[in-house]
Amino acid sequence: MYPAKFDYYRANSVEEAVKLLAENSDAKLLAGGHSLIPAMKLRLTQPALLIDIGKIDSLKNIKANGSLEIGALATHARVAASADVKKWFPALANAASLIGDQQVRNFGTIGGNIAHADPASDPPTVLIAAGATIHVRGASGTRAIAAEDFFVDLFTTALEPGEVVTKIEIPNLSGRKSAYAKMSHPASRYAIVGVCAVLSMEGDTCKEARLVVGGAVAHATRLSEAEAVLKGKKLDAAALKAAADAAIAQVGDDAMGDITAPADYRRAMVGQYLQRAIQSALG
Amino acid sequence: MSLIGKSVIRTDAVGKVTGKTPYPSDVNFEDQLWMKILFSARSHARIVSIDTSEALAYPGVIAVFTAVDVPQNSYGLIMPDQPVLCGPGSDQAGADIVRCYMDNVALVVAETEEIAAAARDLIKVEYEDLPAVYDPYEAMKDGAPQLHLNTPKNILCHYRIRKGDMGSAWQQADVVVEGEFHTAYQEHAFLQPEAGIGYIDDEGRVTVLVAGQWTHEDQEQIAHALSLPLEQVRVIYPAVGGAFGGREDMSVQIVLALAAYKLRRPVKIIWSREESIKYHHKRHPISIKAKWGARKDGKLVAMEAEVVGDAGGYAYTSTKVLGNTNMMVAGPYEIPNAHIDTYAVYTNNIPTGAFRGFGGPQGAFAAEGMMNRLADALGMDPVEVRRVNLLTDDKLAIVGTPMPKGVTIGPVVEKCAEESGYWQRKNDTFERLPVEQPADPAKRRGVGFACAFKNVGFSFGAPENCWGTIEIHGDATIEKVVVRHAAAEVGQGTHTVIMQMAAEAVGVPMEKVELIASDTAFTDNSGSVSASRMTFMAGNAIRGAAEIAVQKWKDEDRPAVGVYQYRPPKTTPYDPKTGRSEPNFAYGYVAQIVEVEVDIETGHVDLIRVISANDVGRAVNPQQVKGQIEGAVVQAQGYAIMENLISMEGRILNPYLSTYLIPTVYDIPKEVKSVILEYADPIGPWGARGMAEMPFLPLAPAIADAIHDATGIWIDRLPLTPDRVVKTLRENGIGVAFS
Ligand SMILES: Cc1cc2nc3c(=O)[nH]c(=O)nc-3n(C[C@H](O)[C@H](O)[C@H](O)COP(=O)(O)OP(=O)(O)OC[C@H]3O[C@@H](n4cnc5c(N)ncnc54)[C@H](O)[C@@H]3O)c2cc1C
Repeated sequence: MYPAKFDYYRANSVEEAVKLLAENSDAKLLAGGHSLIPAMKLRLTQPALLIDIGKIDSLKNIKANGSLEIGALATHARVAASADVKKWFPALANAASLIGDQQVRNFGTIGGNIAHADPASDPPTVLIAAGATIHVRGASGTRAIAAEDFFVDLFTTALEPGEVVTKIEIPNLSGRKSAYAKMSHPASRYAIVGVCAVLSMEGDTCKEARLVVGGAVAHATRLSEAEAVLKGKKLDAAALKAAADAAIAQVGDDAMGDITAPADYRRAMVGQYLQRAIQSALG
Repeated sequence: MSLIGKSVIRTDAVGKVTGKTPYPSDVNFEDQLWMKILFSARSHARIVSIDTSEALAYPGVIAVFTAVDVPQNSYGLIMPDQPVLCGPGSDQAGADIVRCYMDNVALVVAETEEIAAAARDLIKVEYEDLPAVYDPYEAMKDGAPQLHLNTPKNILCHYRIRKGDMGSAWQQADVVVEGEFHTAYQEHAFLQPEAGIGYIDDEGRVTVLVAGQWTHEDQEQIAHALSLPLEQVRVIYPAVGGAFGGREDMSVQIVLALAAYKLRRPVKIIWSREESIKYHHKRHPISIKAKWGARKDGKLVAMEAEVVGDAGGYAYTSTKVLGNTNMMVAGPYEIPNAHIDTYAVYTNNIPTGAFRGFGGPQGAFAAEGMMNRLADALGMDPVEVRRVNLLTDDKLAIVGTPMPKGVTIGPVVEKCAEESGYWQRKNDTFERLPVEQPADPAKRRGVGFACAFKNVGFSFGAPENCWGTIEIHGDATIEKVVVRHAAAEVGQGTHTVIMQMAAEAVGVPMEKVELIASDTAFTDNSGSVSASRMTFMAGNAIRGAAEIAVQKWKDEDRPAVGVYQYRPPKTTPYDPKTGRSEPNFAYGYVAQIVEVEVDIETGHVDLIRVISANDVGRAVNPQQVKGQIEGAVVQAQGYAIMENLISMEGRILNPYLSTYLIPTVYDIPKEVKSVILEYADPIGPWGARGMAEMPFLPLAPAIADAIHDATGIWIDRLPLTPDRVVKTLRENGIGVAFS
C-alpha cells in the first residue's frame, strides 16, 4: 500500500525539530525511516507531517569520555563498527551488528529504534542491561530517563509528546563482562528472544548480574529473579540452570507467541539464551 | 562439436537480468480496465443472494460479473468440479455453494485497480452456512458433511495395491517396523504472483496473456467455460516467474477471458502476494500409516500402508497426485508382498494439487523413513540395506510389472555414497565413517541417507504426446531454423534447451535457431511443463520433426518443414482391485546424503551439506541441471524444516512471506554437491531422462535420518520447525525442559 498523504519538513537543528513538534500535534519525527515508513505504508500510522531530523549532524556523534555517548542518529552500522563501542560495551556493538540486514543497519538509527520500542528490537535489551540513560529534549527543556524506565509497553515509551531523543549515555562498564545472545527471526532478523548479560565478577563469583530479556515479552525487562539467584554465586552449570528456571518462571504468562515461535517455545528459549549470554560473557 | 552436454548461456538470461523481459504484469494496453475478485467469505455455505447494486453504482465501475454471467459455469484440470463463479442463477448444479475460501464469487471491472477494489468491498453476499469438515479422516466418516453430489464420504479416489500373500508375509519377517508419517502443506512461493491481461486479438479471438504451465490446456478450459470453439480462444505466455506446479490449475485465466469476452476491452489483473498464497492450491498434506518387514539379511518381505491425502474443496490434480503416492510409498524396492490403500478426500480446506514431486515426496518420506528404521533395527548400514532391495531391470515393481528398461537406482545409490565422503567401500561393502562432533555440547551432527525415483511424463494411461515443428529456411545453404513449440519457459531453461536440441538435430549452430513458443495461435500442443517431462518429450518431438525437415531439405523443399508428434510407450491405469499396472514409460533416479547440525537446546536444524546424485540420462545443459538440483534441494529444505502454512478451519493465517518462512541466504546449505550421472534412458532424446523434480524427493527423509543419527530420535511429522524438534527431543529426554 501507499502511505496516506503527508507533508514533509526537514529540520536543521534539534531546536527546530522541537519547535515544529510543539506546533504540529499530528507530526512525527523521521530518522532512518525503517520502522516509520513501513508502518505508514500499512496505514498503521498516518501522520499529517513528517519532520526529518536525518540531517542533524550533531546527533550522529559517538564519543567516549568518562561515559560513552551515542547520538540518537547514529546508525546501527556505525554503532556496530565503532571502536569506542566495541571497547566500551562490546555487547552493544554485537547487538547492533545482528540487527536486520546491511540495508537496515545503514539506515536505522539507535534513537529511532528505542523511540519506536518494538518489542522485538535489540538495542533496548542491551541498553537496560548497561544501565544506560536516555537524554531527551522537549519544549520545556531536557531530561534524562533511565533506560529501565524508558520502555513502558509494546511500542510505548516514557517519551512525552513533543520530546526528541538526543543521545544515549552508557556508564563506564570497565571490569564488567557482557554479552548479548539472540535468536533471530528467519525472515526479518528481529529478535525472537534476545538476552543481555552484564556481570561483575570477583574471581569465579558473581558480585552482581544485570540480566535483561527482549523479544519474548512486550518490552525489554530485567530478569530480576535470575539476577538474585546468581548474586554471590559461582557461575557453574547448576547456578546457570537455576537462573534460567527463575527467568522462565518470571516471564511466565507474559511470554508472547506467534506462528514462528509459540509462547511456550519462546519462554523456554529465554532460559536457554540467558545461559548462552552468560557463558558468552564469561568467554 | 556437439551442443548436447554444453552449458550454453540461457537465451533469456540477458533480458531477465536487465529487467527488459516482460512478465504478464508488465504488459499494458492503452484502454485497459482492471479487475478485482471477490472471494468467498465462508468455507462452506450456500449463497442465497448477491447484491451488486452499490458496486455497480460506484463511479468508474464498468461491470460486475457473477455466476449468472458464466456460459458454462464449471472447470477443473482433471474433472470440471469447480464453479468459475459461485452463486445463484447459473444452470450448473451446486454452483451456488462455496466449498472453500478460495472460491470466486464476483468479478469487479473498473477504470482503475483502486476503484475495482473499493467497489468489490461494496458487494453484499448473503450466505447460508453449511456444516463444514476440515479433517480428511472426519470427512470419510458416515454422516460427515458431503461437499460434492456424487462423492459419498468425500472420497475422491481410492487406490489399492494387493501384491503377494499378506496372510503369511509377516511371519517371514525377522524385523518389523511401524510408523505414522505426516507431511505438511507447501506453498509454491514463485517469484511472480498471478497476473494477466485478457483482450480480443486482431482476429477476434478471446485472448489471455498469462503465466501458466500448459497453454493448450488453459485454452481448452477457457473455451469450455465460455462455451466457445477452441479456435476462438488464444492463450499466450510471456515470461513466467516460476511455477513448480502452482500454475497447472486455473487462477486468473478464465475470469480474464470472461471479462474481455463480455466487455470487448482489455482487462488486467495482478494478484498481491497475499492473494497468491490464499487463492492458489498447495502441496497435499498427507498422513501415512506404514508397516514394513525384513529378514535378518535385510531383504524386504512385506509392506503395508494407508495413505490419506487432504484434497481440499475441489479435485485439482489430486487423483493423479495420490496415484503417484500410492506407488512411491513403497519406494524403489522389490517387495514381494504389499497391501496399500490410498485415498484423496475432499474437505473444506484450500484445494491441493500439483507441486514439484507430485505426491512423490510424501511417499518417499514414509518409504525412506521405514527403510532407515529397518536399517537401524537390523543394525545394518542404510546403504547396504538398500543394495539388497533396490529395483533392477529384472525385478517387479510394486505394481506387479517390470519397470521400463534402464533402472539405475543401484549405481546411483553407490555413487552417492562414494562421492559423499561419509562412507567407505571395502570389499564391496559400504561402511559409514564417524562424523566429527562440534565442541559445543548443545550442537550435534548427524548424517542421513535417502533415495527415490520419479516418473518422467504423464502416468497411468493419461494420453501423453508432444508436438514439435522444425522449419529450415534458406536456399543453397541454411539461413535459419525456426522451431515452433508450446513449452512454457517457467524459469527452468526449457527454451534454451529446446533451441540447443533443435540446433543439434538439424546440425546448425545455435545462432541460426529461432524459437516461436508458447502461443496457441502459432504452436501445437506440447503438454504441460510438469512431471519432469519437457526435455524428454520436446527432445523426442524435435528429433522427429528435424528428421522430417532435414529429409525435405535434401529433397529441396523450401522452406523444409517437419511437423511431428512424439508419443511415448503407452501406460495403463491401476487395476481397481490389485493396482496392477504399467504406470510409467520412464524414470529418473536419485540418492541424497545430508549432514545436519541439530541444536538440541533450541531445536534448530542446520543443513550443513547435501550430496545429491542424480541419474539424468544425459545432461543436455549441465549448468541448468545443476540449477535444478540446487533449487530442488533448497525448496525441499523449506518443505522439510521451515515452511509452516497454518490453516485454521480452512482459512490460511499466514499468507505473507514474513510469516510463511521460506529458506533465504541465511538458511541454505553451505554446500550442495551435485553428482550428475548420465546412464542413458533407452528412449530418451540423446539418452536424457527428466530430472527437475527428483532431487526434491529424498531430502526430507534424509534430514529426518540425519536428525536420528545426531540425537537417536525419529521425528515423523513435517515441518521440522525448532519448536517441534525441541519438544519432541524433550519428550524423549534430550535437551531442555519445556514448560
Ligand atoms: C527488514 C527490517 C529488519 C529489522 N530488523 C531489526 C532487528 O533485527 N533488530 C532491531 O532492533 N531492529 C530491527 N529493525 C528496525 C530498525 O532497527 C529500525 O531502523 C529502527 O527500529 C527504527 O529506526 P529508524 O531510524 O529507522 O526510525 P524511524 O523509522 O525513522 O522512526 C521510528 C519511530 O521513532 C520516532 N523517532 C525517530 N527518531 C526519534 C528521535 N530521535 N526522538 C524521538 N522519536 C524518534 C519516529 O517518529 C517514529 O515514530 C528492522 C527493520 C526492518 C525494516
